[in-house]
Amino acid sequence: MMFWTKKIHKWASLVIGLQLLIWVFSGLVFNVIDHKKARGNAYRQAPAASEHIVAEKDLLPIESILKAYPDTVELTQSKLLAKPYYLLTQQQGLYRHFANRYLLVNAVTGELTKVNEQLASNIAKASYSGPGEITSIALLTSNIADYPKQKNPTWRINFNDDLETSVYVEQGSGRLVGHSNSDKRFAGFFFMLHFMDYGDEGSFNNIQIMLFAFVTLWLALSGFIWTVHMLRNGRYRFKASR
Amino acid sequence: MLFIGVQFVIWSVTGAYMVFFDIDYIHGDSLIINHQTKIKPENLTYSTQTLFQQYPQAENLSVGMLINREVYRFNIDKQKFMLDATNGTLLSPINERSALTVAEHFYADDGEVINAELITENPPFELSSRHLPAWRVNFDNFGAPALYISANSGKVVTKRHEFWRLFDWMFRFHVMDYDDGENVGNWFLFIIALLAQFAVLSGLVLTYFKVIKPAFTNNKKRGNSATFNGQDKPLNNGGES
Repeated sequence: MMFWTKKIHKWASLVIGLQLLIWVFSGLVFNVIDHKKARGNAYRQAPAASEHIVAEKDLLPIESILKAYPDTVELTQSKLLAKPYYLLTQQQGLYRHFANRYLLVNAVTGELTKVNEQLASNIAKASYSGPGEITSIALLTSNIADYPKQKNPTWRINFNDDLETSVYVEQGSGRLVGHSNSDKRFAGFFFMLHFMDYGDEGSFNNIQIMLFAFVTLWLALSGFIWTVHMLRNGRYRFKASR
Repeated sequence: MLFIGVQFVIWSVTGAYMVFFDIDYIHGDSLIINHQTKIKPENLTYSTQTLFQQYPQAENLSVGMLINREVYRFNIDKQKFMLDATNGTLLSPINERSALTVAEHFYADDGEVINAELITENPPFELSSRHLPAWRVNFDNFGAPALYISANSGKVVTKRHEFWRLFDWMFRFHVMDYDDGENVGNWFLFIIALLAQFAVLSGLVLTYFKVIKPAFTNNKKRGNSATFNGQDKPLNNGGES
């Protein structure tokens, strides 16, 4: 039995030794980093609290909005830059970051609103408290590196501050997806390593980590058996008596 | 290894569990049907104008479905309300029968309802307290699935099964959070992870000298496949007797 235990241990260590080093090191990084910084919200502020410009009862009647835009699953109130909107969900995902389809209707004028570059950058600015200026705006439709789980088209607004802040605004709803910056990307890099998520899918259910996890099980268990075996044979006595 | 060997086993077992089970499955996404029932505007016969007369404090008004009937949902202060949009009948908080009907409407898997219980305080750890009050509806199926239905909105607010509960448990063990919250920054983890770092490094050195180097030198000599038994000796002296 010990023959096989050692053989397994040696070969498993050969296969996953380096990854094990990466796992433990990145795990140590998660343990010691400043978790507040790693959220990427250094320059995020809550939008200025607004008085109700128009009372909800004086907004356009919901019934007429729904008649104008049928095939709605849910209608909710939304506020963009302190202005009231109706958000009509036409296709509802299980979560907000899953594929959703929205219509955004100005609740005062009834105008169908598209979150264009201008509106998106204004929403971003309202959420931003840092010293930077906007340098670039881009509409991302897939593989959003900072938000890999976000499956909806999203505006990325880059600021030229010391942290290289990016602000993300969902195109369909105008929702502020979040802020990201170099601190968050630093942590994200180690998450990528820890999860072996080389395709930036924001997932730890990939085939390479499953294979490595399987081999690691054998390495850990064989090592454990080996240690217990040595312990029972008095291998650790010398150390313990020192 | 004597000191942290157990933790290595815990890390590898809990890590393997977390990567092998698809996270969407863990979240219980397969437990519910994502209905896309559309609102029929002609059914909004109780007008929002009347609603604001009857509930002048109403805020955050929304329109949605409760299974197949149109409903208004709104807040008064922190309290949530739900009205039938055809006649203005107050539907919230929903009773046990409605909760069961809603749960069965959304439940996608096999098995019948076992029971429903109303939770108004001290939620189980798998339910956030912001969803209270909520009905917990248990289903008779593998993994003991449960749907939580908000009593005031009639929406499915949380879905859980044993695979999630086990995952949560595994995660805590993985980050050595042996007391309460989701705290990856604890001292215990730091010390063990630091020791583990040394252990892995020394393991790598051993791997180099005991596995990689002998394989190369022996291959050069005569490509002998029995090398590893011979090279085993120094590593396990005293181990096997």
